[in-house]
Amino acid sequence: MSRILLADDDVELTEMLSQYLAGEGFAVESAHDGEAALAKARHGGFDLMVLDVMMPRKNGFDVLRELRASSLMPVLMLTARDEDVDSIVGLELGADDYLPKPCNPRVLVARIRAILRRAPTGDTTIAGQEAPQTLTLGDLEMHAGTRRVTCGGKPVVMTSTEYSVLEALLREAGHVVSKAELSERALGRKLTRYDRSLDMHVSSLRRKLGTLAGGEERIKTVRGVGYQYTRS
Amino acid sequence: MHRLFWKIFLSFWVALVLFAAATMFTASHYLEHTRQQEEATGPRERLQNRVAEGQRIADRAGVEGLKAWLRDLDRRELVPLLLLDRDGNDLLGRPVPAPVAEHLAREATRPWHAPFRPRLRALIRLPDGGEYRLVPDYQGVILGRVIARPRVIALPLILAALASGLVCFLLARYLTAPLDRLRRATEHYATGDLSTRVAPTLGTRRDEVAELARAFDHMAQRLQELMTLQRQLLSDVSHELRSPLARLQVALGLARQRSDGRADSEFDRIERETERLNDLIGQLLSLARLESGVTVAEREPVDLVELLASVASDADFEARAAHRRVELDGTTPATIQGDARLLHSALENIVRNAVRYTAEGTAVTLSLERDRGKPDRWRITIRDQGPGVPEEMLPLLFEPFVRVGDARDRASGGYGLGLAIAQKAVRLHGGEVVARNEPAGGFSIAVVLPAGPGSS
Repeated sequence: MSRILLADDDVELTEMLSQYLAGEGFAVESAHDGEAALAKARHGGFDLMVLDVMMPRKNGFDVLRELRASSLMPVLMLTARDEDVDSIVGLELGADDYLPKPCNPRVLVARIRAILRRAPTGDTTIAGQEAPQTLTLGDLEMHAGTRRVTCGGKPVVMTSTEYSVLEALLREAGHVVSKAELSERALGRKLTRYDRSLDMHVSSLRRKLGTLAGGEERIKTVRGVGYQYTRS
Repeated sequence: MHRLFWKIFLSFWVALVLFAAATMFTASHYLEHTRQQEEATGPRERLQNRVAEGQRIADRAGVEGLKAWLRDLDRRELVPLLLLDRDGNDLLGRPVPAPVAEHLAREATRPWHAPFRPRLRALIRLPDGGEYRLVPDYQGVILGRVIARPRVIALPLILAALASGLVCFLLARYLTAPLDRLRRATEHYATGDLSTRVAPTLGTRRDEVAELARAFDHMAQRLQELMTLQRQLLSDVSHELRSPLARLQVALGLARQRSDGRADSEFDRIERETERLNDLIGQLLSLARLESGVTVAEREPVDLVELLASVASDADFEARAAHRRVELDGTTPATIQGDARLLHSALENIVRNAVRYTAEGTAVTLSLERDRGKPDRWRITIRDQGPGVPEEMLPLLFEPFVRVGDARDRASGGYGLGLAIAQKAVRLHGGEVVARNEPAGGFSIAVVLPAGPGSS
């Protein structure tokens, strides 16, 4: 049973949401302010954190920033519906996905499942049963079992979502992967209009991996179509 | 208190007094100088010299030569010299002033050899026997004569003009320099940058302009606070209205879980209405944001054809459920600089509205062309086959929640906020939205957008 940490200052909401998620087969614990959420998350034992941006004592961004310094625990951000900037900031700080609030609990459950499916602590056989154990291209190596990535022999720390995006691109290296396809394969959901999630994940991958030996960009943007991993 | 007032008052006053004093001083100085010169040589000898000179010219060139000499003399000398014949008329026909005529008349009655005053032989004789007397007219040195001889007063005038010009120039600059700074600050405010302050740039100035600058800064600060407040209010409202909605949605989910599918259609209905309420709050907030100018359109290249096609296909999908269609009817390649998301929602709102009013079985058509009147603008036309809108209501169509006033609108919920948002979003791009009833039937809304630089 997956354990979920629910960080939101709305006590009534978290109570109901806990019941709802329990009904969907999750074990839920909640925190009502940023500091409590961070303490619980650091203590470990959770498969995923649902993190609201607006929280007292420490807002969601600060919690995420501090958490990412030491942990790759999957995080789903709940952002204000009219603040596109929030979602971009959240993704930049290393959130795995975001959902505008208020949201339909069914959508929330679907997003949680999509993230858990690609998380290493989850049931890895779902994602990588037929996949080869190690994926290698040039100086880049991806170990499917442990979901570890090395670049030029050095380990690269990345969230599970970044791993999934990179994996989807690497399997099709040299070919363009459309945004719609990438969204379904890596994020486990349909692409929506003006969704910047993929762009943000790709840009953080670029930042972490650096350029190829010749100074060439590893992941190229094909405008209006999608992304392509460069096969040298 | 009124430092600037006194500065202006005093500097103008001083400048004028200086100018007048300089003029008077130089004029009187010049006159004094002339008189002293006369006295140094003695008026008698000078007159004698003139007479001798006149006699020489009369002997050589006659009356005409005498006239020319006299004219030249008149131009050069400050004191007019009259040349009178026996009847007391001037050779050049100049009027003879009364005091001179009287003086001559008195003299004529006195014998030539009056003991107390030796007669001056100021006579010039012509070869033909004519006789003229040279008479200086000291009282003829009037201001008009001084001014008519520019050589005499040019230098003092120029000096006075330069001095007062300098004073006025410095004063004008002193007055207008801070005004210029205020103007630039205002321009900054107009572009949305309220952080500019004027008073610190004026140094230690303590006058009306400095006070104005401080009042200005105060206003800017107040505006900035209000803007922040407005932004805060928007996000607070958003949070306060949406928290209960979020709870409602989760409660609904729980109820659904526990009802085992017994009331699914009712739950669907509640869910739809919740979503509608959520959208409405979103629209209210985005309208408030657009109106307050908090939102500044992002500038990126937007392919209008692509945008239109995606709006059309989405709307067509929804419209088909109600037996209506949305069709793309003629486009031309066009790209503008703008915020794709804002433009998308603007067009979507207009098209949705058109779908609501077009007659069953008909199509809403979307077209994109270069504006006929202004070739630097793109015109997107959204046309429906509906009943149209009463002419007098056309200007009100873009007001929030306007109702056109017949039963049709009450049934369909009026125009809501969609058109108001669309208009604000288009205006943010420097464009305009125009609604009109088509003569051939139906109703159309045109979105006219300026083709930015780099468009084909």
